[in-house]
Amino acid sequence: MSYLDLLMAQQEEVSEAEGGGGGVWVVADVVDGAVAPVTLEALGAARTLADALGAYVYGVLLGSGVSDQAQLLYQAGADGVRVVDDPALAQFATAPFLKVLSDLFAEEQPEVVLFGATEMGQALAPRLAQQMSGGLIEHAATLSLDEETRTVQGAVPIYGGEFFEVLACPQARPQFLTVEPGALGAPFLDRYRSGEPTALDVTLAEPDVRILGPAEGFEPPAVPLAQAPVIVAAGRQAGDFALVQRLAAALGGRVAGDRGARDAGWIEADQVIDVRGVTVSPDVYVAVGIRGDTFHNAAIEAAKFVLAIHPDPEAPIFALADLCIEGNPAEVVPALLEALG
Amino acid sequence: MRIIVILGRVLDPAGITINQRAGRIFVNREEYVIQPADRCALEVALRIKDATAAEVVVLPRGPLPDDDILRQALAIGADRAVYFTRERFKADEAVMVRLLEAAIDRLGGADLVLTGATTLDSGQGQLGPRMAAALDWPQILDAWQAEVVDGAVQAVRQDGTGYVTVEAALPAVVTVVPGAVKPRYPDGVRLVNIYKNVGEIAAALERWEVTDLVGVDMLVPLVERRGQDFPPPRERGVRLSGAPDEVAVAAAQALQKRMNG
Ligand SMILES: Cc1cc2nc3c(=O)[nH]c(=O)nc-3n(C[C@H](O)[C@H](O)[C@H](O)COP(=O)(O)OP(=O)(O)OC[C@H]3O[C@@H](n4cnc5c(N)ncnc54)[C@H](O)[C@@H]3O)c2cc1C
Ligand SMILES: Nc1ncnc2c1ncn2[C@@H]1O[C@H](COP(=O)(O)O)[C@@H](O)[C@H]1O
Repeated sequence: MSYLDLLMAQQEEVSEAEGGGGGVWVVADVVDGAVAPVTLEALGAARTLADALGAYVYGVLLGSGVSDQAQLLYQAGADGVRVVDDPALAQFATAPFLKVLSDLFAEEQPEVVLFGATEMGQALAPRLAQQMSGGLIEHAATLSLDEETRTVQGAVPIYGGEFFEVLACPQARPQFLTVEPGALGAPFLDRYRSGEPTALDVTLAEPDVRILGPAEGFEPPAVPLAQAPVIVAAGRQAGDFALVQRLAAALGGRVAGDRGARDAGWIEADQVIDVRGVTVSPDVYVAVGIRGDTFHNAAIEAAKFVLAIHPDPEAPIFALADLCIEGNPAEVVPALLEALG
Repeated sequence: MRIIVILGRVLDPAGITINQRAGRIFVNREEYVIQPADRCALEVALRIKDATAAEVVVLPRGPLPDDDILRQALAIGADRAVYFTRERFKADEAVMVRLLEAAIDRLGGADLVLTGATTLDSGQGQLGPRMAAALDWPQILDAWQAEVVDGAVQAVRQDGTGYVTVEAALPAVVTVVPGAVKPRYPDGVRLVNIYKNVGEIAAALERWEVTDLVGVDMLVPLVERRGQDFPPPRERGVRLSGAPDEVAVAAAQALQKRMNG
């Protein structure tokens, strides 16, 4: 460590309030022993809110063997970190995690509590909000602050993000929010920030839901093509249909096509994407060698992201696609498979 | 055994157009359907009823301008439904939980509360776990299947890439993921009778005044809507150029980014 590093490190030894002092709290998600990206994103947002509010940021770290993750929370913006490192918390279960947090928050009376919109956040935030008469906004994609009333506003995606509803809980405290993973952006990690985490003294509750084991023989029902999140569709210019199938498998998507693909005998009638056939609204639609006639293009209007691969630069599909690759699918698709790993 | 199914309605997305440039939502066809996840929760309840002869009572998850979805639920197979009446009734989940808790109490309690894990429109999943907190019952969220075995509820949940069976003692709250089960259709005769108000089923739809259940001071929503926001318009027709493998790497990154949220 250089002299400068040392100096900086001393200056950035963070301090925190004495307790019962409100503050903006972030409950960390731990995946495979490491803090999840959504937690760092939430801490970055918490830092911005707290700076505007004149409040402190606290991280809560619950799990087994998680203590050495605490410094990461400081680096992402926490002023204080509370840790419970216990083998009984190795796996998320509602009752034990809930007990720790409800005791902690009853004492600390947070002003704002952020969770990731993850299995843990979605299970705990509503229960805590209900217990503490707090408000809850789930799946916030952006946060903003109404400084006058110290109210955090969350923009919530409606119908999967077609538009956002800006929601706020101006009267209720604490204000609970779960934030959508990947939406807020990763914060700058300040490696000069560090602190001394506080280990909480707790008695752990027993889980009230038991895991009996793998669900033998359970098969989830097939999703209709119209609701499939990922679709890879072939057209006349696809060339080798096996490549299209491999691409669909690599993306975990469903195979479909246009009328040309059906005429070529690659797909069945119920796989034809066309306003007279199946209309779709996937998150990702890959059109491989599809020229894009009016009926096909109208049927994918609601797709959230379209990648088109076609040799003809004038193909109408390119007017609709978000990302266009002008080229022969027989060359592009193998390279794409390679790049996807 | 009494099973409560909490269900709501949602504007059928097929009937609306969102114009991002104008920053407006156009309702071309105002048609409401039962929230898809709630519809699955009802199906799970009816399968438990088929197996154990439980009573299935339907309650609304939010204020309803009409009782259509409750009639539909009765036609599908529920035994009873309650419509909450109140002039200009506004409620969020916090208010609804108070009301639902009072309603369950008036029904004489329950063994299992089932509802959808998320709403189709706003994606909110807080009603189930808020009910569990209010009732102080265990919760199983995001179930694909649930059955009652020896005074306990056993449910299938996703765990990474696989599925596990979990168990909680009754009474409990279970939320069901949309698409978990294939819901049955309404029975034609029941549907006609419930709309004509004839037969036994007509008496199955009750109307309860909200203020008979909770005080007016309990009816203040915590959540306030402060406007709408539209995502930036899509930049369409971005052409990738370069050597095929460079193009492929850029495309693969774009795909992976889209698929991870
Ligand atoms: C996130 C959200 C979800 C909505 N979902 C529905 C819906 O599924 N069906 C419907 O008919 N209208 C829904 N609405 C529209 C609206 O809540 C009702 O039409 C409202 O009763 C009309 O008055 P308002 O918009 O002035 O109410 P506000 O005072 O703005 O609404 C108060 C709160 O009630 C909640 N709410 C009201 N009704 C419902 C409901 N049925 N389900 C879930 N939450 C509800 C909303 O979350 C809102 O925060 C929803 C609105 C929002 C913001
Ligand atoms: N987010 C929503 N989800 C479902 N229905 C809604 C939503 N917002 C408004 N509505 C309904 O759409 C109609 C127009 O509502 P508004 O936009 O408030 O004028 C009303 O019947 C509302 O109940």
